[in-house]
Amino acid sequence: MAAKTIKAPVGNRLATYFSKPANIITIAFLFILIMTVVLPLSTLLIGSLKVNGNQEAKYIGGGIKSGAFTFHHWVELLTSKEYFYAATKFWIPLGQSTIMALIACVVAVLFGGVVAWFITRSNLPCKKFISTVFVFPYIMPSWSMAMFWENFFKNTQINAGKGMLQALTGICVPESMVYGLFPCAMALGLHYAPFAYILIGGILRNMDANLEEAATVLKASRFKILRRVTLPIVMPALVSTVLLVFSSSISSYTVPFFLNRSSISSGNNFIAVSVQMRNLISSGQTKGQGYVLAIILMLFSIAILTVNNYITGSRKSFTTVTGKSGQVSLVKLGKAKIPVMVVMLILVGFFAIVPMLSFAAESLLEVPGDYSTLTLRYWFSSEPFEGSNKGDTIGILRSLFMWKALGRSLLLSLIVSAIAGTFGILIGYAVARKRGSRAATLVSNLAFLPYLIPSMSFGAVYLALSYTKGFTWLDGSFVLLIMVGSIKFMPFASRTGTSAMLQLSGEIEEAAIVIGVPWIKRMTKILFPIQKSSFISGYLLPFISCMRELSLFVLLVPSFTTLATSMLQEYSRTGLSQSSNAVNLLIIIVVLIIQFVVNKLTGASIDKGVGGN
Amino acid sequence: MPKIVLEHVSKRFQKFTAVEDLNMVIEDREFIILLGPSGCGKTTTLRMIAGLETPTEGRITIGDTVVFDAEKRINLSPAKRDIGFLFQNYALWPHMTVHQNIAFGLENLKWPKADIEARVKEMLQMLKIEEFDKRYPAELSGGQQQRVAIARTLAPKPKVLFMDEPLSNLDAKLRLEMRIELKRLHTDTDSTFVYVTHDQLEAMTLSSRICLIKTGVLQQYDPPMETYSNPANLFVADFVGNPSMNFIDAKCLSCGGNTAQLEFFGRGFEFKSEKPISGISSEQVVVGVRPEFVHLEKGDNTAKIYGTLPAGMETTVKLDVNGYILTSVKFGNVDYKLNSDMDFAIEGDGIILFDKESGKNVGKGSVSAF
Repeated sequence: MAAKTIKAPVGNRLATYFSKPANIITIAFLFILIMTVVLPLSTLLIGSLKVNGNQEAKYIGGGIKSGAFTFHHWVELLTSKEYFYAATKFWIPLGQSTIMALIACVVAVLFGGVVAWFITRSNLPCKKFISTVFVFPYIMPSWSMAMFWENFFKNTQINAGKGMLQALTGICVPESMVYGLFPCAMALGLHYAPFAYILIGGILRNMDANLEEAATVLKASRFKILRRVTLPIVMPALVSTVLLVFSSSISSYTVPFFLNRSSISSGNNFIAVSVQMRNLISSGQTKGQGYVLAIILMLFSIAILTVNNYITGSRKSFTTVTGKSGQVSLVKLGKAKIPVMVVMLILVGFFAIVPMLSFAAESLLEVPGDYSTLTLRYWFSSEPFEGSNKGDTIGILRSLFMWKALGRSLLLSLIVSAIAGTFGILIGYAVARKRGSRAATLVSNLAFLPYLIPSMSFGAVYLALSYTKGFTWLDGSFVLLIMVGSIKFMPFASRTGTSAMLQLSGEIEEAAIVIGVPWIKRMTKILFPIQKSSFISGYLLPFISCMRELSLFVLLVPSFTTLATSMLQEYSRTGLSQSSNAVNLLIIIVVLIIQFVVNKLTGASIDKGVGGN
Repeated sequence: MPKIVLEHVSKRFQKFTAVEDLNMVIEDREFIILLGPSGCGKTTTLRMIAGLETPTEGRITIGDTVVFDAEKRINLSPAKRDIGFLFQNYALWPHMTVHQNIAFGLENLKWPKADIEARVKEMLQMLKIEEFDKRYPAELSGGQQQRVAIARTLAPKPKVLFMDEPLSNLDAKLRLEMRIELKRLHTDTDSTFVYVTHDQLEAMTLSSRICLIKTGVLQQYDPPMETYSNPANLFVADFVGNPSMNFIDAKCLSCGGNTAQLEFFGRGFEFKSEKPISGISSEQVVVGVRPEFVHLEKGDNTAKIYGTLPAGMETTVKLDVNGYILTSVKFGNVDYKLNSDMDFAIEGDGIILFDKESGKNVGKGSVSAF
């Protein structure tokens, strides 16, 4: 509009603004996200700068009172030289976690990337099977790989029971191969390899094959094409993958929790920064220091996002010109075809199917590794429990606690996915309709922020909130779990929702506006049905993530009997490996069944949600 | 010098046949256009010659080299076929500058650095894109990207150049400009061009021969004027030429030697063919009349004006002959009143007689009323 036109009165302009549903949604979500993301984050920041409770005040000393402002947490955690406090509590864990995350990245990107290349670019047989099964480790809870690693490599020489490797071959690997930094890194890398596969595969699938053919015609060798054309073009996706895997790994709590058996005597002294954070927060004296750690982990993630945006936004980025990229000529593997397939099947089978077998085996053995002690006790026995879980039965399928916990997990996941998925669609709608507007961009970024906040930190954020005056009713409640879950898993849904909405041209909706179809009907009868499978993926992903989540809820659950995953953690902590394996298998089976049913009924799948388009 | 020979080439994708038993010879320095409606197999044919697609059957020879032979299991990679390929969407590498894009092929040929620089500079000048040397493809317009793609393809001096609808992503004006440039390039570079398009005008104006394909089967392979004035069958006649040919259903009363007695528009006509008429399977025939052979304001046939489309240089006039719509072209700008009466004559020696059942061209000549 020209600058000199007479402006309509403010009231009218506001009325016009709010007559568009996209504007209402934008404003509503701006409010919701500020309340649920920005506000809790600021409580965390405040928590790191004040004295949290009397215990902490006593610990700091000097007559300081609870609630007073202080830099003590920051100063002590980062600089204290007393008994190497800063070094042992912060710098060494941070360094070790960084190394662990870097190794995990390399493993994930190499493994996932190679599989992605073979699936999208070669005439490898059994693609469908490999592709389906390869995603399993990502569907499993993140500690499954860690448990599998332990089940497989543990041995009697390090006082850990007989693992599969020892039972089958008699080989005993040293402790540093079973517990500590290296196995943690491997377990994380293998868990995130499918994630890398989905991201890189998505780019490779969408990448114009003509780009590679043009190089072939100009006589570039296959290796040179890979090095000079394919890799640079998938580089943004590769970098994104590295950064996201890095930020997820460095803050992973469950894997270091399961594969952590620090013993100074063996020199295998590994404490991950996330485990350290949990210890600090759980103690009444160092809550503030825990918050400091949570903030630092978050800053890591935000820095990573900034780097990511810078790299993907550079001028060398993609130009998408529609062409005949459907005509992809696949690389012929020739004589290598069968050997490559066999290697792939073995690798994929080993990391996707064997873990489940190992969980089943472990849950059926009284003495780990001794196949003569087969028992169904841990599944079906109704003998009473002797551990921390008084009044419960040993067989998990007979345990009332277990069924209740599984029920609560399912209920929580259902509610969370309903909220997160719907929010995702609405945000997608607002962002697509108001593309480029400042408010929409802000909403889109705020909705993605929870993805970058490590689960533990996010839990800590809400823990801090539930200790804040006015919000104490949240402490230990189910509502708190729903809130945390919905917000934490919204990024998946909002990403899928946005990309699905962007694919729909505005005209499709305008055609309905013209004939006077109300907004609700437009959404439910036109937009949703068209992109049904994408939107349902937006519901499925939060559901699966929530079902298998532990680190997010670990600080917030009122008791370990609340959720299936917290039961599992308790079993594992008390050394009942049979029960924890059984619960893990149970969770995996439930998730796989739900994923399979939803996929068959609606065509939605998790790789659609993560960016496989 | 390269001569490209295709013998019994077929390509099947599972159950679907893209190209069926194709035989053709492309002589050295020709400008061949593969023409046909979308999905007819022309791109597949081009990609098979280039080696980007593997035929199911047949043999392809470029120059003295057999590049593909299904029986002998010969299948040379595109890199060894000494060809250039221009993609429809240009396929410029987004992460390389214009300079790097053009130099890439020369580096693969292990040219000395100085030679590469000189050749890139020459190509930049030739295609008038010197100022974009350091830019990335994303920073260029469609037409500029097109020029870069041409430069990149031509830089290694390929003897055979394949082009897959290279102009279809450009706007109408730029397309016209690039057509002239391509025709000049063909002469300047002294190489063989094989070009895919669905635009019959492009085929008419550029090529030395048109290879017309329909659902994977070769229809006609002739110079453009021959294809236009003596189409092999109804499909070719309909596909080539704009406005398209008039097809008048007629009855063949008798036929012998070079003449046939026809009945259409409710009256009798005599068709005189240049060559003896052969191939009529029944009395159902089709008379093909190009719009330029329908002359207005003369003759003893009458029709009503159905509509006029003046385009400045010429006017397309649609006639209604007892419910039969006939197209005519008149030079200059004329405007007739709708539904007014109009006399017309069918004159000229380019009238084609088709057999209705087989659709084949059975004779070419002139008609006169009797």
